[in-house]
Amino acid sequence: MKIAIAGKGGSGKTTLTATLARLFARRGRNVLAVDADSNPNLGASLGLAPEAIPAPVPRDLLQDRVTDDGRKITALSISAAEVAARYGAQAPDGVRLLVMGRVAHAGAG
Amino acid sequence: MCRAHATVRGLLGEIVGGAQDVAFADMEAGLENFSRGTPRHADVVLTVLEPYYRSLETGARVADLARELGVKRVLAVANKVRSPADAQAIGSFCKSRGLDLLGTVPHDDAILEADREGRALLDCAPSSPAVRAIEQIADRLLA
Repeated sequence: MKIAIAGKGGSGKTTLTATLARLFARRGRNVLAVDADSNPNLGASLGLAPEAIPAPVPRDLLQDRVTDDGRKITALSISAAEVAARYGAQAPDGVRLLVMGRVAHAGAG
Repeated sequence: MCRAHATVRGLLGEIVGGAQDVAFADMEAGLENFSRGTPRHADVVLTVLEPYYRSLETGARVADLARELGVKRVLAVANKVRSPADAQAIGSFCKSRGLDLLGTVPHDDAILEADREGRALLDCAPSSPAVRAIEQIADRLLA
């Protein structure tokens, strides 16, 4: 199950995300929490000390390639499970945290 | 294409079959990631609504965009609800926009305190009203 949580800044979505992630983990689920906010705070809300929060996932994991039917796509060069294992950090209750990092908006679109 | 958004899409899209069986994504504030299609792989989109006009309107636009992207379950969560009037305002807004309300989290000073201390709400105030409300939301998502 993949659950995306959205809302205006300050709406409380990060606290909701962190608390749901840990409650799901306590109920026996194997949980990945992805911080996709450009102002990442999910690590602290999960209960991680600042030094335990992982660095953002590197951008060069994405590769442009051409599919068999000729479409150009951008895809991960390693599996998502590997991304979580290699670049994630363990948070309380066994939640795995991944940080996507800041987006340079100017001209990056 | 913006690579950070593409990475999030890739992860959300591929995460099933990996080591984790549930993935939560705390999305960027506002609507930009939705217009880029980032959450289209999500099974569930939760849109967090506060009881004031701009929050409700943004939340409803997020819900519309998520549906356009093909997300099957788009649900609202009311947050920072201080009074029965707040609850009623969000309830009738959701009804008018065809949004299902998954749960209501009350305004709770425990959240402000946890934020201030940079700690997890679950560690600071495990039996606070906000945590109890989020437990109900977890139960409903798992049901």
